[in-house]
Amino acid sequence: MEEKRPLIQFKNIVMVFEDGQVVLKGIDLDIMENEFVTLLGPSGCGKTTLLRILGGFLEPSEGKVIFDGEDMAKLPPYKRELNTVFQKYALFPHLNVYENIAFGLRIKKMSNDVIEQKVMKMLKLIGLEGYEKKNVTLMSGGQQQRVAIARALVNEPKVLLLDEPLGALDLKLRKEMQYELKRIQQEVGITFIYVTHDQEEALTMSDKIVVMKEGLIQQIGTPADIYNEPVNRYVADFIGESNILPGKMIKDGLVEIDDVQFPCLDEGFAPNEPVDVMFRPEDLEIVSPEKGTITGTVESVIFKGMHYEVIVETVPGTTVTVRMRVIKNNEVTSEDGKEKISANDFFVDIEDVPDLDDKEIIARADAQAWDPQSDDFLSIAKVEYDLKQEEGEYPVTFTTASGLSIQKTISVVDQKYVKNPRANEGIMAFNFFKTVDEITESQALDTDLKTWANAQAWKLSDENEKVEVYVDYDFDPENIGVGTYKVTFSTAGRELKVRTAARQEEDEVIGTEVGLSIAPKEIHVMHKM
Amino acid sequence: MLLLPVLLLVFYAFTNSGNGLISFRFTLQHFAKFFTDPDFVSVLGRSLGIAVKTTILCVLLGYPVAYFIAGSDERTRNVLVLAITLPMWINMLVRTYAWIGILSKGGFVSKIIGLFGKPDVEILYTEAAVLIGMVYNFLPFMILEINTSLCKMDRALLEAGNDLGANAVQRFTRITLPLSIPGVVSGISLVFLPAVSSFFIPKLLGGAQYFLIGNIIENQFITVGEWNFGSAISMIMALIMMGSMYLVRRFEKVVSGGKEDRR
Repeated sequence: MEEKRPLIQFKNIVMVFEDGQVVLKGIDLDIMENEFVTLLGPSGCGKTTLLRILGGFLEPSEGKVIFDGEDMAKLPPYKRELNTVFQKYALFPHLNVYENIAFGLRIKKMSNDVIEQKVMKMLKLIGLEGYEKKNVTLMSGGQQQRVAIARALVNEPKVLLLDEPLGALDLKLRKEMQYELKRIQQEVGITFIYVTHDQEEALTMSDKIVVMKEGLIQQIGTPADIYNEPVNRYVADFIGESNILPGKMIKDGLVEIDDVQFPCLDEGFAPNEPVDVMFRPEDLEIVSPEKGTITGTVESVIFKGMHYEVIVETVPGTTVTVRMRVIKNNEVTSEDGKEKISANDFFVDIEDVPDLDDKEIIARADAQAWDPQSDDFLSIAKVEYDLKQEEGEYPVTFTTASGLSIQKTISVVDQKYVKNPRANEGIMAFNFFKTVDEITESQALDTDLKTWANAQAWKLSDENEKVEVYVDYDFDPENIGVGTYKVTFSTAGRELKVRTAARQEEDEVIGTEVGLSIAPKEIHVMHKM
Repeated sequence: MLLLPVLLLVFYAFTNSGNGLISFRFTLQHFAKFFTDPDFVSVLGRSLGIAVKTTILCVLLGYPVAYFIAGSDERTRNVLVLAITLPMWINMLVRTYAWIGILSKGGFVSKIIGLFGKPDVEILYTEAAVLIGMVYNFLPFMILEINTSLCKMDRALLEAGNDLGANAVQRFTRITLPLSIPGVVSGISLVFLPAVSSFFIPKLLGGAQYFLIGNIIENQFITVGEWNFGSAISMIMALIMMGSMYLVRRFEKVVSGGKEDRR
């Protein structure tokens, strides 16, 4: 591959759309002859835009595209020596298979016998001989796909551009077409530039993968490079399954994760540099607790056909328990019986007091007014309160337009949150009041409990990075009575994914203590993004 | 219920003696009368001729307009479609009356022509006036039909054409045009059929001497009271229309690449 010369060179391509959105932020990329190159990234990363610039359908705001040594900026698509296979094939519905494939040749005014020869050769290549008279709109997705490829290849381009061509096919057909495409590329021996968001497709077919994110190239490399040596946590996370943990590089060949030191092969980092550490699930080995470098509890076991996926919790989750006071009734009825109003007492953190306004108070107290006959909701016209940013209890009154009111209490407290530096997590929740009806009528109790208790968890390193909260309680929501109940909110803790071929009996292993070991060469240390 | 008036018409066309349902005689004499009278046949010829001319003019004028509308952005497109539909909210008869003023001696058009040194040209009560009236009335149908078929076309097809080496002209003739033929064909049916049988446009703009087949039918029913003969002429017209529609459909299949195993 080293002998090849670059066929296409992107030089500092910047693309800004009319609405000011910057889609490409300076792309430099060389593509060689006869290469199968995949542009890989989630939707919106700019991969399709880059392809469309190469195809001539878009003009870059800045930068140059060099094709075969020549700047192709002003060349319209129909003069470029490349062809495109479009996302939804874009076959001509008024032409049959033969005429669709022959389209480009007819434009070039080739003679009928040459056209026939070339089209027949293409039909053979894509395995659709005998289909030439078929109506393309009546063919299956896979067949249309093949026709689209033939229609492009028959023009003998130097480069074939493919824009997520397998997206519309079902899984089995997609796998077949992956091999088919690779075979066709090897047979015709030209450069394929393939755009996809499917990492598995990229790994299967490519000679070279270009991983993109938000208009920038993250990494360029062979599938093996990208899989084994991702440059950062983004690439590691995007390609295959992985465990990515924050760590600290003590010195060359030694990295620390959760106070445990691991020998590794990586070097060239600053002493004590914070890093991301990755290892693949298949590289972790389950051993006895004494032998493991780290220990943990087995959380779950999933059978995946070829292997078992075992989740081991190495750092326990963080929990906080609050009291839920359940009362019988919280509503007030007007004298004429035509209106009802209800609300709950609630707790609020001292720091959040400035954020409280009428709307927020109505929401937190779950204040509602309604007509008991028609069940129509009425609006709450007035909220009266006098709050200070000090601990204490403050009355609040909700009033409807006709003057029916209810008084409740807001308790301002200095809520302590639970910190867990080992897991890099904090969690907090508030005590709360509810009626029996509110609990029995809840459609999604876990979510409601989280909302009622205002439960939240976050990374200590970055308060804005939220952590999933799980709910646990020991009452029966269908038959709950008046009283005080405990509700526990917790985070998942640090969980590692282990892939093993060894048989795992779910009943026996879940909850057991195990050790995990990993070979130094399987540990991959990456710079922080 | 839908067929009842038609059945009655067929009954009248083949029978004789007034409109009594009890005393009738089967006869073909009305058909014979129509085809043996050279006057009727020449009126038929003239009607078909003007309908064909109207249709051709509507296609030639309508296609570019529809193409322009389909090519503009969505907001402009909606405004333009509205502008085209707007006159159709007003009664066709009223709009045709308006043309009398425009085309008559001393009217708008003759003033304009007068500026070029040909005073007192009267267009009203000529075939040209009838043609103008018909094109004016039926053009919107043509534009809307073609516009619909153009808008339905997938833009990616043009990109594909571009990618395969077709320049703008080739993209139009090889992709856009064949894909819009169904729209042209339904536009033709919407223009040709009413144009053949129209009677008040020739009456108002063509004058008393300018007779089309629609006028004859109208006369037979309303002035002369010959319902049987009028019905016979209507049936002849219906058959001619069916025949022409069949021809147009055949033409569509040939042009838009009607493949053997299509449909």
